[in-house]
Amino acid sequence: GFSVTGKKKRTDSPGDMIRRTQIKRVLCVAEKNDAAKGIAEIMSNGRARRSEGLSVYNKLYEYEYNLFGQNVTVCMTSVSGHLLALEFKAQFQKWHSCNPVLLFDAEVEKYCPENFVQIKRTLEREVRQCQVLVIWTDCDREGENIGFEVIDVCKAVKPGVQVFRARFSEITPNSIRRACDTLTEPDGNVSDAVDVRQELDLRIGASFTRFQTLRLQKIFPASLANQLISYGSCQFPTLGFVVERFKSIQAFIPETFYKIRVLHEVEEESVEFSWKRNRLFNHTACLVIYQICMEDPIATVTSVTSKPKSKWRPLPLDTVEMEKLVSRKLRIGAKETMKIAEKLYTQGLISYPRTETNLFPKDLALGPLVEHQTPSPSWGAFARGVMEQPGGPNPRQGTKTDQAHPPIHPIKYTNTLQGNEQRVYEFIVRHFLACVSQDAVGQETVVEVEMANERFSANGLMIIRRNYLDVYPYDRWSAKVIPVYEQGSQFQPSAIEMLDGQTSPPQLLTEADLISLMEKHGIGTDATHADHIGVSIGTDATHADHIETIKSRMYVGLTADQRFLPGELGMGLVEGYNSMGYEMSKPDLRAELEADLKLVSEGRKDKQSVLRHHIHKYKAVFIESVKKAKRLDEALSNYLGAAQEFSESEQQDM
Amino acid sequence: MSPQGVRATQAWLHSSWQVQVPFAWLEACVEWLQQEGGGAPLPQHQLNQQVLDQWLLTDLRDLAHPVLPEGLSRAQKSELSGSFGVQLDSLLDISQAAYGQLQRWRGTDCTNEAVSAITQATQRPWEAKPTRMLLLQLTDGVQSLEAMEYQPIPALSTTLKPGVKLQLQGQITCRLGVLLLKPGNVKVLGGEVEELGERHSQGKVLCRALGLPEEEPQGPA
Ligand SMILES: [Mg+2]
Repeated sequence: GFSVTGKKKRTDSPGDMIRRTQIKRVLCVAEKNDAAKGIAEIMSNGRARRSEGLSVYNKLYEYEYNLFGQNVTVCMTSVSGHLLALEFKAQFQKWHSCNPVLLFDAEVEKYCPENFVQIKRTLEREVRQCQVLVIWTDCDREGENIGFEVIDVCKAVKPGVQVFRARFSEITPNSIRRACDTLTEPDGNVSDAVDVRQELDLRIGASFTRFQTLRLQKIFPASLANQLISYGSCQFPTLGFVVERFKSIQAFIPETFYKIRVLHEVEEESVEFSWKRNRLFNHTACLVIYQICMEDPIATVTSVTSKPKSKWRPLPLDTVEMEKLVSRKLRIGAKETMKIAEKLYTQGLISYPRTETNLFPKDLALGPLVEHQTPSPSWGAFARGVMEQPGGPNPRQGTKTDQAHPPIHPIKYTNTLQGNEQRVYEFIVRHFLACVSQDAVGQETVVEVEMANERFSANGLMIIRRNYLDVYPYDRWSAKVIPVYEQGSQFQPSAIEMLDGQTSPPQLLTEADLISLMEKHGIGTDATHADHIGVSIGTDATHADHIETIKSRMYVGLTADQRFLPGELGMGLVEGYNSMGYEMSKPDLRAELEADLKLVSEGRKDKQSVLRHHIHKYKAVFIESVKKAKRLDEALSNYLGAAQEFSESEQQDM
Repeated sequence: MSPQGVRATQAWLHSSWQVQVPFAWLEACVEWLQQEGGGAPLPQHQLNQQVLDQWLLTDLRDLAHPVLPEGLSRAQKSELSGSFGVQLDSLLDISQAAYGQLQRWRGTDCTNEAVSAITQATQRPWEAKPTRMLLLQLTDGVQSLEAMEYQPIPALSTTLKPGVKLQLQGQITCRLGVLLLKPGNVKVLGGEVEELGERHSQGKVLCRALGLPEEEPQGPA
């Protein structure tokens, strides 16, 4: 197993301190019922006693365990993600309760939403009988924050309870055992970063959403009367990318180019030599050269080089790469992929799927993981091959690590999955086996010829060993046969052709492209791209609600080949905000925010000052946007028809 | 200045620079230079240099003094040899799409256009960097024709000012009215023509190539 070594220096581990206290009963809380069940099963060797909690979805699992060198009774239960939510105080909650600008300073509070109250009550009831609380939520930013919500609820009824954090990347016996032996403190910095993000999202989202919705509903009653026009600081830049790409396609001007191609038929093979100049954007210039070639159509082989060429096996899988690859190769959207991956994780089939790491830590034994896959009729033989290769599994290593989780890898073999779950699991397994095997090896031959002082070249590829390609059907490498040419020899081409073609615009963005752009600009980090795209674009395939789909399509729709096309409302909003001079739909503001969140989570920046800074910044942008709101109307009227006219005083109220 | 002095300048231009100018223009130019200089006679070497400078800044169309063989631009195939002072009106890199060049010239950020989900690009090496080929619009003042950078010529670049004077020298093939230039064929003499600067700015040249209206472009950022 792989576990985090805490960043804080400690002379005395929390575990050591507690050995001096008498512990009878320990409350453990996981992020979801599935995880609680899986962990309990491992810790109890399948002998946990299950009972009901107050919430039907969150069971209690009770068993004996040796913790802190003592035999204790463990009660393992769960929450369902976040237990608390952030909201404005009651007087600001109604849409017309206040001028939206006040939402940047209005008081906010955490509260327990109606449907989580029973979970909270269960925790309150259980913790009273426990001396120790251990947080078993997912080991990522959100999980840390959820942990603190649990702690707050528990400490409110039992202030003296001792709190620990279990850190783990897999739900496997080794990993769980190790987490129990190395309990740490929960990380307040990481949780703070989430608090900051939540508060900013609430203030920015609510103020802009209320402002633009209330205004635009009045200005464009025919099209928008019942439309919620939501704004999010990550959602808008994401929308901005879609609009930007669409506009660059619209602005694109195709150009005609010309090229010369030389064909040489040798027995049955036709070898194509391509022009070193590639192409020219002028007909006469190309024709001049073509004529010169035609006057002296003898090709001389100037060089024949043959060198080994390998096709690299993939890097260990991180979240973003998984989202992109699965989207491209399996055509499964990022949001669904993550849902499936989390499920596979809680079932103990794969490691934690939210990770930025693409190198395997040295202490992670890869052999057993490969070994587990040998029963498979599809890739078992390949797995055995990996075990037999000299030195055993040999991962190609990346350079990124989040210091928390290893790359995504399979933990157990299974053949019981169906549908997309099976496909995602198979992808993860094959990717893992490919990554720890060997690069494909080939021999590339490049033949260069000269004709009338023009250079042309042809290349051939011989695949010598397919290696990882045998287990990784998502990559293609095709051999290309080329006859033997001798340096200095001459031949008469069977054809010399002047061809033309046209440049083409970039394509509309795919989901995978969009993830790449978000990554490039540093927004939606923390491996949460899928969530943002889901929220902003509304592509969630599980959205059965058709009205929701139509609504979201006014921002962005999907073409038949699953590419993003901006809708009228989306276009108008982005153009409107861009025309204000503020880069509302550009990623910079959000990227700066996320960079600061990272610093908060590392304890290098203070929560309050980061909050103040960004509230101030967005508030200034907000005030300016309200002032220039007419620009929004103007931009939208290009798409939605004439704006409803209002008098000066009526304008004041908007 | 005596007609002798003017002739001396003419001879100097021809022998040192292979530049030919109409005698009437030369006389007028010398006279003007002397007036500008306060009437005192200029030493011959200074006069020569100043006349050359004037020529470099003059639109050769104003001189209407042909130096290239007549009908060169209409010949299917011919060879040019000798030395010729010509004017470069504008130039365009035809090895790349004009659209991308215009975006770069405007400083429009289009880096997002290149982003795709594919992480390991597999561009074939010989397509990575096509050899530049500039297409030059030249004139000797009477005859206009195109010239292409048949082999890379480091002395040429898109930053050359419209109206700059070039010396064509050596053996040059001309096909379909296009001169095929090699590095030894071109020497940049310098100068520019102010009035052409605006009309043939790189932005406008690119707009024309794309059939775009020649808006007033903001210029490179
Ligand atoms: Mg989670």
